[in-house]
Amino acid sequence: MGLMMEMRKDLMLLLLMYAVLCLVPLAAHGNLHLMNILIICLIWAVVAAAWDLIMGFAGIFTFGQVAFFVIGAYGSAILTRTTGVSPWLGILLGGLLTGTIGVLVGLPCLRLKGAYVALVTFAVHMILEPFLKSNIGRAIGTGGPQGILSIPALNLGGYKFSSMHLVPPYYAALIISFVALLIIYKIIHSPWGLAFVAVRDSEVFAKSLGIDDFKYKLAVFGISAFLTGMIGAFYAHYIGMLSTRILGLDLFLILMVMLVVGGMGRFPGAVIGSFIAIFLSEWLRFLESWRMVIFGAIVILMVLFMPQGITGLLFPLEGSGPVDRLLRRLRGTDAVACKSD
Amino acid sequence: MVRELIDVLISGITNGSVYAMMAIGMALVYGVTKVFNFAYGSFFSMGGYLAFVFFGLKLGYLPVLLVVLPALFFAGMATERFIVRPLRKRADWEMTAVMVTLGLALFLDNLYQAVFGPFVKSLPILFTGNLNVSGFTLSIQDISIFFVAIAIMVAFILFLGRTRMGMAVEAVAQDMVGAEIVGIPKDLVFGFAFAISAVLVGFGGILLAPKYFVSPLGGWNILVKAWVITALGGMGSIRGSLYAAFILGIVEAFVGWQFGFTWTLFAWFAVLLSTLIVRPQGLFGTWG
Repeated sequence: MGLMMEMRKDLMLLLLMYAVLCLVPLAAHGNLHLMNILIICLIWAVVAAAWDLIMGFAGIFTFGQVAFFVIGAYGSAILTRTTGVSPWLGILLGGLLTGTIGVLVGLPCLRLKGAYVALVTFAVHMILEPFLKSNIGRAIGTGGPQGILSIPALNLGGYKFSSMHLVPPYYAALIISFVALLIIYKIIHSPWGLAFVAVRDSEVFAKSLGIDDFKYKLAVFGISAFLTGMIGAFYAHYIGMLSTRILGLDLFLILMVMLVVGGMGRFPGAVIGSFIAIFLSEWLRFLESWRMVIFGAIVILMVLFMPQGITGLLFPLEGSGPVDRLLRRLRGTDAVACKSD
Repeated sequence: MVRELIDVLISGITNGSVYAMMAIGMALVYGVTKVFNFAYGSFFSMGGYLAFVFFGLKLGYLPVLLVVLPALFFAGMATERFIVRPLRKRADWEMTAVMVTLGLALFLDNLYQAVFGPFVKSLPILFTGNLNVSGFTLSIQDISIFFVAIAIMVAFILFLGRTRMGMAVEAVAQDMVGAEIVGIPKDLVFGFAFAISAVLVGFGGILLAPKYFVSPLGGWNILVKAWVITALGGMGSIRGSLYAAFILGIVEAFVGWQFGFTWTLFAWFAVLLSTLIVRPQGLFGTWG
């Protein structure tokens, strides 16, 4: 019973958010700037939630998320440019490519201990930029230091998406991100998810019960990389150009803010976090280089003083938050507070 | 050819000595506190920027060091006290410590960029001129960097073995619970380890500034390099870090000479991975 309630709570929150997001274009379709920001929010929501799936639930410190995003983006861009396949197929193949690379990175990595994984994955991020800029990168079509300046736009039955009319790409982003988030939700509440929670909370005990977390971890690492690469590919076709600038640390920091503001291991906190972080980043643009100083401070302060983020305020683990009280009143039950996640 | 080879070797050994000093700092923090300090590279830049500020006040080398090194010491101690220690009570402190030090690194780097601008700063050179040794020209700057780094490391190793504080540090690294039982103030030792490591890496930032300059993002390279060195040497092994730093310093010089310095990290990872396949615990590491 307790578990059911918890499951419905995060799914309900997600459905509620997406119901509102479905209606937003009715009011905002004329405001290209706002629509663009919302599309970016939807894209990063997937990246942040996929990261949270690995960090917050599977308990693996990985810092390769932006690298996976970029691999998917470049993969699909190069593929569609050289072979002329449809961008939709490119998005899928870009995701598969990233998922494969994710498994290849995960194979040696997941046998290592915590901080080692963080560094190896971060190193993947660090060497990706010189690689994409190098002559080898140029030979496979990354465009070297300039990047790729024209990436085929998405289309639907002959209709080409354009930056002048953002409603079609908005709904495309909405659907893709929703499916990706549903997959993440399913994994969290699958037996795999339970295995992770068990291993995270008491590794020795879980292993003595015969839970071999390695294969689950590898699978989740691959799935998370797949989802991240796929949404990265979508981003590439949406924006229409790519350069190694995305690998800069600013974006990495914004991604961290999404995670800590939303709450680590608190699905769908990362989704809420991504909207907050991206809007905040837009509002604080006037601060110029001080903006990222503030973002760094936000990460430190959130980790120190609000480790469960916004989601922790809405419904704390103890089940006594405002959302829980509301749910209980609606249902007319006083079900036992649960601690299932 | 032979002449070039020897030049490359000398440059590798000079860089290796500074890398060794910085890798020891990382091995110290990881070995003692079990925290992986992602802000390590930012203390490298902090050393450079603090020195830049005080050189700007027309101070000489010695007064600058007398101000900057204690400042680094307290910055390291404050980091442990206010940012890492509060997390220790939590069950998931290992992960949150990584997050918070990474947040600190990004905070500091962006702070340097906001205050000093994105362009590199240079520090005055300690010694100019060259020395002729049987036909080879050695820059006095390189020689002095080498000897200063070696002197600092010798001082550090003497500190560990010969002083009460140093022995306390070693005791905590070997057995945290045991050290606490015999009354060693663990928190103080943790703070001390962070403080010393900040001094070691920050001083490295000053020593390498004539070669690599001071820049807001310069620390990331150092963080990854120091980590590769400690992982190659065996995590937490100070002797291992020493050997690994010189090996990788020389590898870097050769790769830079033959292929260009952008390939340094690739070469380092190749060396690291091929070593770890044969010896997963690193050159001198022990498991656990």
